[in-house]
Amino acid sequence: MTDPLSVMMFSWEYPPRVIGGISPHVYFLSKSLAKSGVKVHVVTCDFPGAPAHEVVDGVEVYRIDSHKNPAPDFATWVYMMNLNMQKEAAAIVNKLEGKVDVFHAHDWLVATAGIGLKHVFRKPLLVTMHSTEIGRRDGLHTDTEKMIHETEAWLTYEAWKVVCCSNYMVSHVRWAFGLPEDKLVMIPNGVNTHVYENSTSEDCEAFRAKYALPDEKIVLYVGRLVYEKGIHVLINAVPKVLEKVNAKFIIVGSGYMKEQLLNIVRSMKLEHKVLFMGFVDDATLLKLQKCADVSVVPSLFEPFGIVALEAMAAKSPVVVSDTGGLSEIVDHDVTGFKAYPNNPDSLSWGITKILIDENYKKYIRENAYRKVQEKYNWQTIAQQTKNIYKTVLGEYSKSFWA
Amino acid sequence: MVGQLADYISALSTQLVKKKVETYVVTYNDSWTGAVEEASGVKVVRVANPVRTHIGVLTWDLTLNQEVERAAASIYYQAGKHVNLADVYDWHFIPAAVTLKNALNIPFVYSVESLEDHRSSDPNTPYSMSIKSIEWLGFYEAEKVSVKSEWMRDEIVRIYNVPKDKVTVISPSAKTWVRDVLKLYRTVAGGASK
Repeated sequence: MTDPLSVMMFSWEYPPRVIGGISPHVYFLSKSLAKSGVKVHVVTCDFPGAPAHEVVDGVEVYRIDSHKNPAPDFATWVYMMNLNMQKEAAAIVNKLEGKVDVFHAHDWLVATAGIGLKHVFRKPLLVTMHSTEIGRRDGLHTDTEKMIHETEAWLTYEAWKVVCCSNYMVSHVRWAFGLPEDKLVMIPNGVNTHVYENSTSEDCEAFRAKYALPDEKIVLYVGRLVYEKGIHVLINAVPKVLEKVNAKFIIVGSGYMKEQLLNIVRSMKLEHKVLFMGFVDDATLLKLQKCADVSVVPSLFEPFGIVALEAMAAKSPVVVSDTGGLSEIVDHDVTGFKAYPNNPDSLSWGITKILIDENYKKYIRENAYRKVQEKYNWQTIAQQTKNIYKTVLGEYSKSFWA
Repeated sequence: MVGQLADYISALSTQLVKKKVETYVVTYNDSWTGAVEEASGVKVVRVANPVRTHIGVLTWDLTLNQEVERAAASIYYQAGKHVNLADVYDWHFIPAAVTLKNALNIPFVYSVESLEDHRSSDPNTPYSMSIKSIEWLGFYEAEKVSVKSEWMRDEIVRIYNVPKDKVTVISPSAKTWVRDVLKLYRTVAGGASK
């Protein structure tokens, strides 16, 4: 083991490149690890305007040319990008004179780079499985999906330990790839409460006026507009909520279901009640989360549910579907409302209850905020991750690779 | 066996062993995997693709390369980190060769049997462009390029702007064939250019 302990992380996204949840996860994890004395090198994809190498909050960030090789489709692009990531990372390891103790890959998107480097340098590989193809698609239907699933299986096979961010994901990954129990580790995802603490909610009134009428409550959805996120369940719950409360539904995010959802809203003649915002900048999102009367996470498949945690950190009461990681984050009637998954009636019941009952709303939002601060703190998570690195390196030191 | 390449590699590796060159062949086999030593003294490692379902040759190739790297790295470490060079045939294993060069300083010769421009009926499709980009990477990262005819050398210079003196023509039908190959290897052995 080098001193300090040194890890090289692979992630296809890192700020300012943000596509999904992996980018903020790797950002906060690497930063917090650096703070606890771990030398962290993040190898990620390039982004217009972002430097090829920089130090961000104590973390060495390397951005590789992700389009050096053209590719006919997304999945092929992933493997082509990995070819270049692997090549550039190999050169970085050599420049560091081999001073890397552990490789840590995030999802199948960097599988082949991680696996290849593990073998050529003979260092242990860890993987964090943020999601699975079989879960995202609710089965494996096409060759692309099967190929990705098999790549994930191979990655978890090659990894020394597989990290998942909820107990649900631990059992899901174990089932999906047939892994032994002792290979899996649960370390929760974290949320950065500081950004919410620093912003004030004083100007909510003026801010709200941009999106909703004075007598309208704000119901917020943040997420991609894709099947697994259950946004269609929320859209179907809109008229049921409106029967009881006057509200504006604000939908932040984009995805392939957008047209379909717009059509449903149009056919219900509720265009004036549902506002599709697309992507919004961070400051706007923060304010929306702070000012919303309720945040809804209606996912059908949710490995973790970071958006629920963010809402809780922003002191916005949450209604979530009782599935996956969301089931673990939220205690029903204590830190949020858990609705039956894929059930617009149950979802609208929860939304309505929070919008009508002020005391209930106050009670759950305060409990939720406390829980977030205690359990989903990045410094705690970094410490747990560091301990896993140490455990792996201890086992590795006994192997003939050491 | 897919084309004539298998026979050629078999003949060349056998000749190399006769010349006292420690020779390992890393190749693909879907079901018969592992290391064997042939009667000729050539050591062959066969790897399969851990990912069984694919959407094209490219994804198949790019995943197989990690197994090639694993096998090659095993050879490298078992040989006391002593491998002078790799000789890579066509684009398929260029990704592995490039990683081995950048990670373990093993230089490589890129032996060209054919080019995508000649194989493909439309080399401007995104698919062929991807393969061409791997060929380009091979020419860029290789210490030397080996071809079997003057015509191929001219084509590589024409299509990829490779400096002519980087490409060596070695005819397998010439009497000096193995000697020519060894001569080329000697110029490459001793570490990748940084």
